[in-house]
Amino acid sequence: MAAVTGLEQPLVTASPRTARPRAWRAVVLLLAGLYFLVPLGASLWYTIYTPTMGVSFEAYGELLTAEGFASSLALSLGLGLATIALVLLLTLPAMLAVRLSAPRLRPVMEVLCTLPLVVPPITFVAGLGTSLRTGAEVLAPTPFWATLIAVQDPAFPIVLVLAYVVLVLPFVYRSLDAGLRTMDVRTLVEAARNLGASWPHVLLRVVVPNLRSALASASFLTLALVFGEFTVARLLGYQPFAVWIVTISGSRGQVSVAVSILSLLLIWLLLLAVSSAFGREKK
Amino acid sequence: MFTPRARVAGVIAALTVITAACGAAPGTQQPSASEGGVNARTATSAADFGGLDKLVEAAKKEGNLHVIALPPDWANYGEIIKTFEAKYGIKIESEDPDAASADEINAVKTRKGQDRAPDVLDLGQSFAISGATEGLFAPYKVQTFDKIPEGQKEPTGLWTNDYGGYISIGCDAKKITTCPTSFADLLKPEYKGKVALNGNPTKSGSAFAGVYAASIASGGSFDDIQPGIDFFKKLKDAGNFNPVETTPATIEKGETQISIDWDYNNAAYAPQMTAKGIDWKVNVPSDGKYFQMYAQAVNKDAPHPAAARLWQEFLYSPEGQNLYLKGFARPVLLPVMESDGTVDKAAAEALPEVEGTPTFPTTEQVDAAKAKLAGGWDAAISG
Amino acid sequence: MTRSRGWLGALPLLAFYAFVFGLPLAALLVGAFTSQGRPTLANMRQSLEGGNLTSIAGSVQVSAVVALLGAVLGTFLAYAVVTSRFAALRHSVLTASGVLANFGGVPLAFFWVATLGNSGVVSGLLGLPSGALYTFWGLVVVYLYFSVPLMVLVMAPALDGLRPQWREAAANNGATSWHYWRYVGLPVLTPALLGGVVLLFGGAFAAYATAAAMGAGTVVPLVTLKIANALTSDVLIGQENVALALSLNMIVIAGLVMAVYLPLQRRSTRWLR
Repeated sequence: MAAVTGLEQPLVTASPRTARPRAWRAVVLLLAGLYFLVPLGASLWYTIYTPTMGVSFEAYGELLTAEGFASSLALSLGLGLATIALVLLLTLPAMLAVRLSAPRLRPVMEVLCTLPLVVPPITFVAGLGTSLRTGAEVLAPTPFWATLIAVQDPAFPIVLVLAYVVLVLPFVYRSLDAGLRTMDVRTLVEAARNLGASWPHVLLRVVVPNLRSALASASFLTLALVFGEFTVARLLGYQPFAVWIVTISGSRGQVSVAVSILSLLLIWLLLLAVSSAFGREKK
Repeated sequence: MFTPRARVAGVIAALTVITAACGAAPGTQQPSASEGGVNARTATSAADFGGLDKLVEAAKKEGNLHVIALPPDWANYGEIIKTFEAKYGIKIESEDPDAASADEINAVKTRKGQDRAPDVLDLGQSFAISGATEGLFAPYKVQTFDKIPEGQKEPTGLWTNDYGGYISIGCDAKKITTCPTSFADLLKPEYKGKVALNGNPTKSGSAFAGVYAASIASGGSFDDIQPGIDFFKKLKDAGNFNPVETTPATIEKGETQISIDWDYNNAAYAPQMTAKGIDWKVNVPSDGKYFQMYAQAVNKDAPHPAAARLWQEFLYSPEGQNLYLKGFARPVLLPVMESDGTVDKAAAEALPEVEGTPTFPTTEQVDAAKAKLAGGWDAAISG
Repeated sequence: MTRSRGWLGALPLLAFYAFVFGLPLAALLVGAFTSQGRPTLANMRQSLEGGNLTSIAGSVQVSAVVALLGAVLGTFLAYAVVTSRFAALRHSVLTASGVLANFGGVPLAFFWVATLGNSGVVSGLLGLPSGALYTFWGLVVVYLYFSVPLMVLVMAPALDGLRPQWREAAANNGATSWHYWRYVGLPVLTPALLGGVVLLFGGAFAAYATAAAMGAGTVVPLVTLKIANALTSDVLIGQENVALALSLNMIVIAGLVMAVYLPLQRRSTRWLR
């Protein structure tokens, strides 16, 4: 029991928390605002101003017609969508199965789905590249050789989709896990099955609608990762969006910064689109 | 879980997809000889085809050529590719221009037997040698093979040097009052924060050569690259070292005002930059002259063997060699062309001035230097 | 619903995982201990000496500094936002954090080159010496751009979990602000704090794209760049297995750090129920 000496905030609850820290909070927010917004502003200025030509929005016009812009963007988009589809297709049934009928697999799933976090992408691609090389030699006389090669087709490298699924697995798992935890999966599924629903019906009409926000955040994280992914694509020799930005930076500096600004906007839009499209979860 | 019908349908669908993408590597199946009984894959010279015209015919029949790691503004490859396409009507697919030599070797290994494999390679010297040892190349002697000096080709034609250059110091003459002409100059305080390399010496061939040249300038030799590493440490301590990798964009923006790079790269920047109002000068340093050549090789499992060999013939013809010259690179047949008058005189005059003839380090010396650099660069430059 | 067939649902994922993740890892392990077809420890030894050791140390240093700085700054920012009266501020900062935490890689590098690079917009104003961005601290400043938002995202829910009643109760018992934080606030927040530090460390440690796009690797030794250089280079040949050994070292370090994270993360969720 302390004496009531020298303590300014005895019974005043709400206001002291805002009274003293108010100036301090303003300083923190100001500094943070500066740190995060100045590079944005500076980059914008960098793209529109050159000492020789003054202010011009040429960089943005060049951007749209730059060689490889459309194709690399389309490739990244395609890869992103394919990754989302594949990762959800693999993870959702697995997590449902574990929850509903194989609870002993649960710790195994947890470990497996967190393991990719321990393997930095550069190390993963080092191993992946080696396996592809060895695979090409070892599998040469077998029919699987063509599959291995088809998977590496630069028009649409499925090998990248496979790699991205692994990279994004921990985040998707965590997202879906959180979502599944808040809905009473067992009851809902059992009720639906008792009413005669087939498994696809259960999945699509019962489980998915209840997981909307989890699916939304999983999709957002996947798309953001795929669009920004550079390491694996570069070291395997493909040119999706991020790799293209670096390639173009050698010849056109302003365009590459302009593209960087656009990609930030893109992620923002993605976040907005995904969160509004899926809406708020119904309680 | 699924109805029996659905299950069967699913299995059939899966099998169809899998078998559609199946098939063993073509290389392990019987190779088919091309028309006329000439197997382009094993031809070791134009004579094997029955003359250059027959080679051209066979190449045109193939119609395509895959090249890799050929940036258009590197030794004038842009124009070389266009000229070849126009001359023979063979379409060239130039992939991954920013690839490094290691990427080229990887592409050959991973895509063995595939249609996507590169046909021809332009490699750093060490990579050509190691690739030949690994049996990745096909021996092919171009028609001018005998004119190529000894030591600049592999005796059976597995690789041949194509062009090379000296390490040079490029400089933005408008922003810098006196351009440096030697490595010793670079340490002067007026160049604070301005001296850039073309990347990291453990990754970029020209940056490695820059360190090697600096070593020669600082009292080292082909056997000892340590003075070069020490030089750059001194440069960094003096505050003159600029870690940005030089590209046309950085020169334009003024981020890299002095650049150590191959003379053909620096010289090629000059006309580009004049258009942007920058006066880019090139000097071969007087105290550290280092000359290095790249090497051409034909992929043993090239998907377009005749076109690959025609490409070689083109590059080593006076026309091809002069195109290299136009790109400010020193083609391997330059001395020969100068004596028999086929050289493009104007282009030869435009080369950055250099005195004397170059000496080359041996493979062992280069390998030892690389190992030493890989071990010591990080500690020196970041300390 | 039969129990015995439940695991069938997990089979595709497990098969996929074994194939696409297991094989490369196996290749990594085998390659790290092989040289020219024969098992050897030479690669591992080489990966721990000279330039390679410098790069590992460099990476660990950068990551540790980013983790600690980012944790402190992120926590303060989260606190400032969480205790604000303006819901709009909180919402916008959290959204921005969501975006920025996922915005690393190449575009981030170009932002900073445009801002603080040698001919950057701000570097002239601040009178920065040339090459200032491409130093250890320059890299830290760049990495904080995605680390601080990540910390905000980690700490905001944790700070929310600090019930105001606890503060009142402490105040009622005569505790000063300092006492409150020392005996109530920090202990409650510690699991989340440490988890955040670990997460930040992992993110900075694994970062490759930003450093590569910035070209900082010439001056700041980083193990990710070393691995990439050993795999694809115009200079080094035959270093692939050393790259695999280095990768193995990276995974071990990341694994150790993660081994700290998982139990902490589980503990921290306890407080948020």
